[in-house]
Amino acid sequence: MKRRTFGLLLGAAAVAPGQTKLNDPILEAMRSELERSLKLRLAGETPYYIQYVVEQGTNLNCSATLGGLLISRISNYRLPRVQVRVGSYEFDNTNCVYTGMVRGARFDNENWPLEADENQIRQDLWLATDRSYKAAVETLSLKRAALKNVNQAEKLNDFAKQAPVVKVLLLSKNKMDEKRANERVRTLSALFTAYPKILDSRVEYEEGVSGSYFGNTEGTFFRIPENIVTLRVRAEALADDGSPLRDYLTFHAFEAVNLPSDAEITTAIHAMATRLTALCAAPLGEAYNGPVLFEGEASAQLLGQMLGGNLGPVRSPVSEPGRPVNLPPSDFEGRLGARVMPEFLDVTDDPFAKDAKGRPLFGSYEIDMEGVVPQTLPIVSQGTLKNMLLTRQPVRGFEGSNGRARLPGSFGANAALPSNLLVKAKDTIELAALKAKLIDTIKQRNKPYGIIVRKIDFPSSASVAEFRRLAASLQSGGGNRPISLPLAVYRVYPDGREEMIRGMRFRGLTVRALRDILAASSETYTLDLLANSFPLALMGAGGFVTGMSVVAPSLLFDEIDMDRPQEERPSAPVVPPPPIESAG
Amino acid sequence: MGHGFLPDPHPLHDNLLGVRSPFPFVPVALIFAILPAVAQSPPPLVQILASEMERNFTALKSKGDPAPYFLAYSVTQQETNVLTATSGMLASKDSSKSRSLDVTLRVGSPQLDNYRRVGRNFATFTNGSMLSLDDNANALKRRIWMDTDGVYRAASQRLLNIRTNKEVKVEATDQSGDFSPSEAVVSYKITPELRFDADKWAGRARQWSKRFTQYQEILSSSVTVIAQRETKTFVNTEGTRLQHGRTYARILISARSKAADGMDLATSETIEADDPSRLPSDKAVEAAVDRVAKDLRGLLRAPEVDPFVGPAILSGRAAGVFFHEIFGHRIEGHRQKDENEGQTFTKSVNGPVLPSFLSVTFDPTVKRMAETDLYGWYDFDDEGVAARRVPVVEEGILKTFLLSRSPIAGFAKSNGHGRRQAGAEIVSRQSNLIVGSSNSVPDAKLRDLLIEEIKKQGKPYGLFFESVTGGFTTTGRAGLQAFTVIPLVVYRVYPDGRPDELVRGADIVGTPLASFAKIVATGNQLQVFNGYCGAESGSVPVSAISPALLVTEIEVQKKNRSQERPPLLGRPTQTDGSDR
Repeated sequence: MKRRTFGLLLGAAAVAPGQTKLNDPILEAMRSELERSLKLRLAGETPYYIQYVVEQGTNLNCSATLGGLLISRISNYRLPRVQVRVGSYEFDNTNCVYTGMVRGARFDNENWPLEADENQIRQDLWLATDRSYKAAVETLSLKRAALKNVNQAEKLNDFAKQAPVVKVLLLSKNKMDEKRANERVRTLSALFTAYPKILDSRVEYEEGVSGSYFGNTEGTFFRIPENIVTLRVRAEALADDGSPLRDYLTFHAFEAVNLPSDAEITTAIHAMATRLTALCAAPLGEAYNGPVLFEGEASAQLLGQMLGGNLGPVRSPVSEPGRPVNLPPSDFEGRLGARVMPEFLDVTDDPFAKDAKGRPLFGSYEIDMEGVVPQTLPIVSQGTLKNMLLTRQPVRGFEGSNGRARLPGSFGANAALPSNLLVKAKDTIELAALKAKLIDTIKQRNKPYGIIVRKIDFPSSASVAEFRRLAASLQSGGGNRPISLPLAVYRVYPDGREEMIRGMRFRGLTVRALRDILAASSETYTLDLLANSFPLALMGAGGFVTGMSVVAPSLLFDEIDMDRPQEERPSAPVVPPPPIESAG
Repeated sequence: MGHGFLPDPHPLHDNLLGVRSPFPFVPVALIFAILPAVAQSPPPLVQILASEMERNFTALKSKGDPAPYFLAYSVTQQETNVLTATSGMLASKDSSKSRSLDVTLRVGSPQLDNYRRVGRNFATFTNGSMLSLDDNANALKRRIWMDTDGVYRAASQRLLNIRTNKEVKVEATDQSGDFSPSEAVVSYKITPELRFDADKWAGRARQWSKRFTQYQEILSSSVTVIAQRETKTFVNTEGTRLQHGRTYARILISARSKAADGMDLATSETIEADDPSRLPSDKAVEAAVDRVAKDLRGLLRAPEVDPFVGPAILSGRAAGVFFHEIFGHRIEGHRQKDENEGQTFTKSVNGPVLPSFLSVTFDPTVKRMAETDLYGWYDFDDEGVAARRVPVVEEGILKTFLLSRSPIAGFAKSNGHGRRQAGAEIVSRQSNLIVGSSNSVPDAKLRDLLIEEIKKQGKPYGLFFESVTGGFTTTGRAGLQAFTVIPLVVYRVYPDGRPDELVRGADIVGTPLASFAKIVATGNQLQVFNGYCGAESGSVPVSAISPALLVTEIEVQKKNRSQERPPLLGRPTQTDGSDR
């Protein structure tokens, strides 16, 4: 509950540096060096904007397999990031392929001393600012040179202005219980000894207690807690024909005490392991075109993936002459005011949403990475796209942040992501009736069966090797953002009987499909996930993660294409797996 | 999946200090000779490894095509404590424990198997998987089985490729096979406990690092303390069963700054010991910190070196690195049969390769020399072959090479130098390199000889290389057969009695064969250089022990220089900035 405000919020009125007591040595050190660094001058360029960020915290990571602990590690960090902008808000050293390139030796500490006092922090900021400033001046001149030979299609400013905010919140002093975490992963991972078909499995626990410090020359200063706890269960098996299969579970919370109990997780693991075991003997699916019911988790996953990755407009950087860098646009680009969903659906992005117990949802936050306080935004209203998610980077058609800078982006900008996406339907029916509606639809269309998807692989649990193969094949799907593979797919026959199938993927599934939603359930599912800047939000990838929630009903889609990719299957191992030893 | 090790062709990039090494905290394997506790029955991990090995080997032999003829499992367990202090403050304090598995599986026959080097393709099968820290049979065996399956698939595939590859059929110069026989060894020793009171060491490191704050011109500095315990467990299908290990401790002191003309300068010193309790007193470490700081201060003011060819003395430590680079890497056995290698010495066995007063021995059984604990010792190499003394050069004559179980023409058996970092494949590597001399003079006399040589050559000065940070060399045929040694502290020595003058920005460059011929005398005091050596099989701890060398000719080139200026604003002080 500590993500609520304990500190002072001295909103919109511009706060001149030096006037307010910040009562924090890191923030005070930032303020002193910000002020001093504005005097930097080289080749006629002075900084017009400097920003300091420090992430400080402690991480506990541990994992186990079949009851044996693989690793347990506690690490402390205090990582600074410095951004210097030279030029002006209209034209500066960012949004260019050279942005972020820094040459020369680094003399500031990469990981600040944990015990550093204000004086030491100033020493580090001094050296880091010097290095970033020199790079910024060089980048700006390279950018000017590059533009001499190019006609820009549209002129956008480089940085949006923003009123300053001061927000100093208390950080938590959670004690981590490494022993308990170790025992927990050992015990939970040992559950898989009862499932001989599951060949590889792992339970991973990660607890991060941290704080983010921010200061800029516009007078924005903040200190906010950023705690995240994740418990992840992964399992892999081989189908009877040798195809690799996998499934996973994730549990997230801001505080360790708010994770589900061991009993609840145990039940979930047994259910997942049982389903994965059954999947080994399930028949392969066939190419399908027709109505698909995305049930519970799968519906929230699909919406989270489709909306999450497509609501931030994309800006391509100024590039070297003759070597243009064109980033793929978002699938909603230019669709503002257009109908993107049926009229009975509304989507809101609400950073302050709470769950049934009154706790903030996992995507909640107080202030974004650029020091902008977010507001609740209507995204889709009666099926019409109303808002995009914006950072301080001006993009085509938009200038001015709505506080959605949630992950570091490229070329000096940050990436926009949703907080808590709340999908609400006006006319709903019960889930059982939704399934009946699916059956009715297939009967009307003379289909032998319909499809229910209960889980997709988002965020993706693929291994790095598999991810590489996937990325290539999913890219050909038609949209600019690939859609994950389905993990739990069932055929539903006209008599209501269900049959689990495997080996399916979506074909050509893009945000266009959202317009063809036929109906929604009255029951909703709340999905918590960790987003990162990787395609498919690949688990464990990327240095930065941020929480996100999706609350959505189950959805019946009118028509979706699915097929079975041609894949080479590895031959079965020559040696059978070692038998489980009860004394193990 | 590939490994992050050096690409092929491999420049052997050593950073003996380990400061910038990509593998800073890697294997160290040695044991105390002081009555090691000997376990009677096989430790649990040995039993688990052996039983899973038998199960896999038996099944693969009866059902696998091709069938394996050899299987080995190696588990490396590391407990590492690292703490760093800077300017009197603790910067980080970490401890970690890990176990990794390496699988070696050979299909085909010892004459031709899946490890045969073909073209530029260096075979890598193992991947150093993370293994359960608990001796939990279910957790361990499952991973061992999965990795064995993966390695077996890759090994069979490669053997098939080799057999159909034309290059193998071309008559190779070296007709030796791929794997040599070795005796089975059974030995279980308990690795000494690591006694490391992190809080106590943090306090000491804070105090030591604080001394740097007296030197305003130093931009960054740190003192790092590392304490490690490493246990290796090894089983193979020939009956070898081993468990052995060592503890290890190190202090790294470093400082960096930028000269007014933009040149980046760094000085450093390391202190190594078998165990944290054997690290030196506060007084000795403080003296080292002061040397590092004063050397850097001196360098910041020193003139830049001019390209120079002339006589020089290399201190014992500098000479050790010189030998490690220009000699040691060229007598690693596998390079003698690799057609891509320069093979500087391949045909020189029983011929002169060094001046006749010099000998070079590799001896992984020596634990301490010149009052310094050595890095490069171990009881068994990573193929389970017992360590032994190997005289490589006697009175200037090359006698043998460093050998793993990969045989080369004329040398059919391993001499205990097959080494690797966990996760890499084994090749022959150096251990403790010891330079012996029958033409040694007291160090003061060596200086007199240098001055004589300067005068004789009519040079304005000679050079004295006091300390070096490391070096690298290229042994491949495609590259230049050359080396670079990177000195930290170099003085000009004048023949007219003027005091020695510190210079900056020098790199020693040269070609191996030409360089050896220029060594004319040595000092009589041995010095030790401990560090990590990086090559195909990863980073392994090594030592180089040598007396000072007098060389009649050495070539020095200017170091690459940064064009970046020193910081534009002055150092922040308590009084500037916003006044509150």
